[in-house]
Amino acid sequence: MMKHSAILIRSLVLAALLALIFASETYAYIDPGTGSYIIQLVIAAFFGGLFVLKVSWKKIKTFFGNLFSTAKKN
Amino acid sequence: MSRTTGDIPGSFRDPSGFLFYRDGSIYRQVNNTYKDNYDHFRNSGLYQALVDAELLIPHDEANISYARSDKAYKVIKPELLPFISYPYEWCFSQLKDAALTTLKIQKTSLDFGMSLKDCSAYNIQFSKGKPILIDTLSFEKYREGEPWIAYRQFCQHFLAPLALIGYRDVRLNQLFRVYLDGAPLDLASSLLPLRTYFSFSLLSHIHLHAKSQKFFADKAVDTRGRKMARLSFLGLVESLESTIRKITWQPKDTQWGDYYDQTNYSSDAFDHKKQVAAEFLDSINPESVWDLGSNVGIFSRIASGRAIPTISLDIDPAAVEKNYLECTREGESNILPLHIDLTNPSPSIGWENQERISLFERGNPDTVIALALVHHLAISNNVPLGKLADFFNNICNSLIIEFVPKNDSQVQRLLSTREDVFPDYTQHIFEREFSKYFTIEDSVEIRDSQRTMYLMGRRKAT
Repeated sequence: MMKHSAILIRSLVLAALLALIFASETYAYIDPGTGSYIIQLVIAAFFGGLFVLKVSWKKIKTFFGNLFSTAKKN
Repeated sequence: MSRTTGDIPGSFRDPSGFLFYRDGSIYRQVNNTYKDNYDHFRNSGLYQALVDAELLIPHDEANISYARSDKAYKVIKPELLPFISYPYEWCFSQLKDAALTTLKIQKTSLDFGMSLKDCSAYNIQFSKGKPILIDTLSFEKYREGEPWIAYRQFCQHFLAPLALIGYRDVRLNQLFRVYLDGAPLDLASSLLPLRTYFSFSLLSHIHLHAKSQKFFADKAVDTRGRKMARLSFLGLVESLESTIRKITWQPKDTQWGDYYDQTNYSSDAFDHKKQVAAEFLDSINPESVWDLGSNVGIFSRIASGRAIPTISLDIDPAAVEKNYLECTREGESNILPLHIDLTNPSPSIGWENQERISLFERGNPDTVIALALVHHLAISNNVPLGKLADFFNNICNSLIIEFVPKNDSQVQRLLSTREDVFPDYTQHIFEREFSKYFTIEDSVEIRDSQRTMYLMGRRKAT
């Protein structure tokens, strides 16, 4: 567990450094927290991928569902 | 005892505006700095969509002359809520529903080009039985590529407390009373069991999140300019939603959850109690009721069923959970179950001890129902009957109260493990002490029991 955590933290630092390349300003009255901000960038990419898969899967299911129901009607 | 003048102490943090009282009503000043966001919020249709979906408190725009400073862009008058409750007074499912409502609002906001800029659990209140957002200024325009500013706050206010209840102990919801900005994630991470590391969502949103906070705590990293694709944003919100949906809590091993199965009443006595409570309520027709020690809310529903706004308070989180689940199942709108320990009710906390207000400063009921309660306060908590009478006198105008004598088996059970140091716990002294503040308008001996129910009205000159 500890080994995995260390690898993940190293990845987070790398992601943080890469993210410094971009620049635009944000405004917030609450402190988003540096650590919270950075972990979010890293994990959101993964969850975004999952989200795309989920939406695509739904579309595929709907497409074939419609296809079969049309075939049945015919 | 509730406050009705000046600025509302809990709304000073956000420079977008603040709440204040005027002529007994609550208004919100919207500052010029929030103009663009407010206009987009109204003009994009987001406001109407959220109000139509009963996710946001409706408001009317009020006369700008009501403004409290020259920074004002608008003054709005939100619909008044009968009672403000706090997350440390909610049961598990209330907090879970509040979390899911917040995420639903966030998803709707993104559809209209906006995003929640804060995610405080205190911004959610229960109105007509449903959780709604009460902070109209919580929205900002979504800028493509920007991460979610309120992600940390969402995890601290919702995800961590829910996970702590679901995976560790329901009492950990009380962390809210100590930590105003929600459960610290490092603390949540250390308290959660090892198996939560094997849930990828909890691993990332809580454990790695906590480690990331610790790692970056003393590092000066420029957080401006990070890009997060819209799809990643949606994925993050989806992930939080599915994680929260999966957290469950099954009440077990708590004090009162099965109280009515263990009671010494016959069903005849119980039915008689319900009948007497109904008759007393009909004779006084109160404007509002608080049922103290309500258990799962059987007597509360006698009041709420008569369209009387009712708050149902109990010390047992399992009873409150059952009570709330029945409210949602039946679509009840007049009853609000809350988790309250009357021997240590919610204090005033936060900045200057005024940010979150004590229970009894937030409102007082017209009528209190206190059935099978006095013996617990008098014997388990050693409160003299005179002090109890004084307490009720301070909070209500009329009282439906039950006296359970010492020879009742429930009182005997309380005394079985301790010395009886309560020579004054008698029906005669109960009546004498309460008569100092109240007029006993009616009393009925409950059939098939040793108990007596009283209807009392507060004496005007106290």
